[in-house]
Amino acid sequence: MNVGGMTESAELVERLTAADPTAMISARRLTKVFNGFTAVDAIDFDVAPGEAFGFLGPNGAGKSSTMRMIGCVAPVTSGTLRILGRDQATDGPAIRARLGVVPQQDTLDVELTVRENLYVYGRYFGMSRAALLPKVDELLDFAQLTDRAKSKVEPLSGGMKRRLTIARSLINDPDILLLDEPTTGLDPQARHVLWDRLYRLKQRGVTLVLTTHYMDEAEQLCDRLVVMDRGKIVAEGSPLTLIAEHSSREVAELRFAPGENAPAAESVTAAMATASARLEVLPDRLLLYVQDGEAAVQRVRETGIDPVSTLVRRSTLEDVFLRLTGRSLID
Amino acid sequence: MVLTLAAGRATSPSAWRIVEYQIISARRFWRSIAIVGVFTPLVYVLALGVGLGVVVDRHGNQLGVPYLVFVAPAFLTAAALQIAAGDASWPLMAGFKWIRTFHGMVATPLTPAQVCDGNLLWIAIRVFVNSALYLAIMAMAGGVRHWGALLAVPIATLTAMSFAAPVAALTASVTAEGQAFNILFRFVVTPMFLFSGTFYPVSQLPAWGRWLAYVSPLWHGTQLARGASIGGLSGSAALEHTAYLLVWLVAGGALARWRFRLRLTE
Repeated sequence: MNVGGMTESAELVERLTAADPTAMISARRLTKVFNGFTAVDAIDFDVAPGEAFGFLGPNGAGKSSTMRMIGCVAPVTSGTLRILGRDQATDGPAIRARLGVVPQQDTLDVELTVRENLYVYGRYFGMSRAALLPKVDELLDFAQLTDRAKSKVEPLSGGMKRRLTIARSLINDPDILLLDEPTTGLDPQARHVLWDRLYRLKQRGVTLVLTTHYMDEAEQLCDRLVVMDRGKIVAEGSPLTLIAEHSSREVAELRFAPGENAPAAESVTAAMATASARLEVLPDRLLLYVQDGEAAVQRVRETGIDPVSTLVRRSTLEDVFLRLTGRSLID
Repeated sequence: MVLTLAAGRATSPSAWRIVEYQIISARRFWRSIAIVGVFTPLVYVLALGVGLGVVVDRHGNQLGVPYLVFVAPAFLTAAALQIAAGDASWPLMAGFKWIRTFHGMVATPLTPAQVCDGNLLWIAIRVFVNSALYLAIMAMAGGVRHWGALLAVPIATLTAMSFAAPVAALTASVTAEGQAFNILFRFVVTPMFLFSGTFYPVSQLPAWGRWLAYVSPLWHGTQLARGASIGGLSGSAALEHTAYLLVWLVAGGALARWRFRLRLTE
């Protein structure tokens, strides 16, 4: 038994110190400190080739800082970060040559045309004019912007600008595409168009690394994700396994009149006392985590509690996140 | 990746890619660039060289040459410095803050130092072309005496860049909406124009005024340009002026690279 324990701790040390040589990105004890504030706190993760990997978390969780380190535009405070087998600290330009980056805020030149933005960006990668011209046409088509090629960027819609930014990030045929909050600020339809484009890239085998605070986006796009909170990784897995591990099968949402949430929570807790259920109190509604949502709603109503409205749904990553970040849990 | 049609042979990028971008960008503004380039010298030649020049030349001009010939190389140098200072302020601020194009550049293999160098190179090219145009207009107005005046173009470019490099460092450091530039132009650039021997030899000034001139890169540039155009500048003095401008350029350039790096990688 003793021997087994030693092997286990040796493995742990190995995992903590050695980067995975087959990984596209491998981080060990990765840390970023700004002016005394620890934005990223000793995180470990590996991204496999062809994987769509997500960082999920609220604003300020450390996702963007992590992305900027992966993008080799922010130095690592401590720990190691290897990207495409190279060291982030010393090989920045060589790594960046093989990355595509979709930043949170657009960096397009709004005075140039759509086509010129793509062309100029390709030149920054040292691409020749002959290689660029067909590439630009191909990407215009991919981003559904061919008919706007000669338009200036300024008047384009937010969705079009995002698509152009994604097209631009593909100009060098990157091995890894980094997307920082790719659909923040877009209307639902524009988001779906964008998700479709990203899904196509994934099908083509591009390794995607994205951050998002939209749970639906993470579920749609990510094969595997880590949940970040206050600079730390609090869970890791595929969307389905995270839901299975950290939430119930179904959720019954109970809505009460304003101000009645808290008293209702007490009676619901009492009503469900004998069942295996978990209650989450949100400002506007109660979430009841159960195996069978309809049965739970029925049981609540039978005890004389009368919510204004109810909704039964499957658990999502949002529920996982509520659970993991440790807000008021009543079991 | 299936998207690949022809990857092509990619060469290692350099600061010249930034210059190329600026040229593509400038195609949209070439009219306004050209108008500034022609209009400014015409106004100065007419108002000061010809207008004031007539007064000076009629009232015992002791400069040894007609007033227009005296001021032409100085105007050229001062204009170059003002254009370069302008280009190193607001447009660079846009790249950092308003349209954020510099942040896009450093996500590619380009480094912050290359982004800095490329922008300074572009300003130098613009100033060189502008100075050549300026010289041609001055020559047509009778402000140029001999071929040595051609040297005023590279001299003006060096002078302009020796000042633009530290201004670029300042731009990379300011985070507000650029109010610092108003102070820069009102309290540094304009007084420098008035106290650097542009309109009169600085020997006319009291000692404190002369020292203002001596520290200003514009005075050194003006002395060089005037020396090349009219003569009367010793070789050792020319070397000293050039060395002083190079110190500003090298120190300012190093400062600018450092500030670009801090601004673009955090």
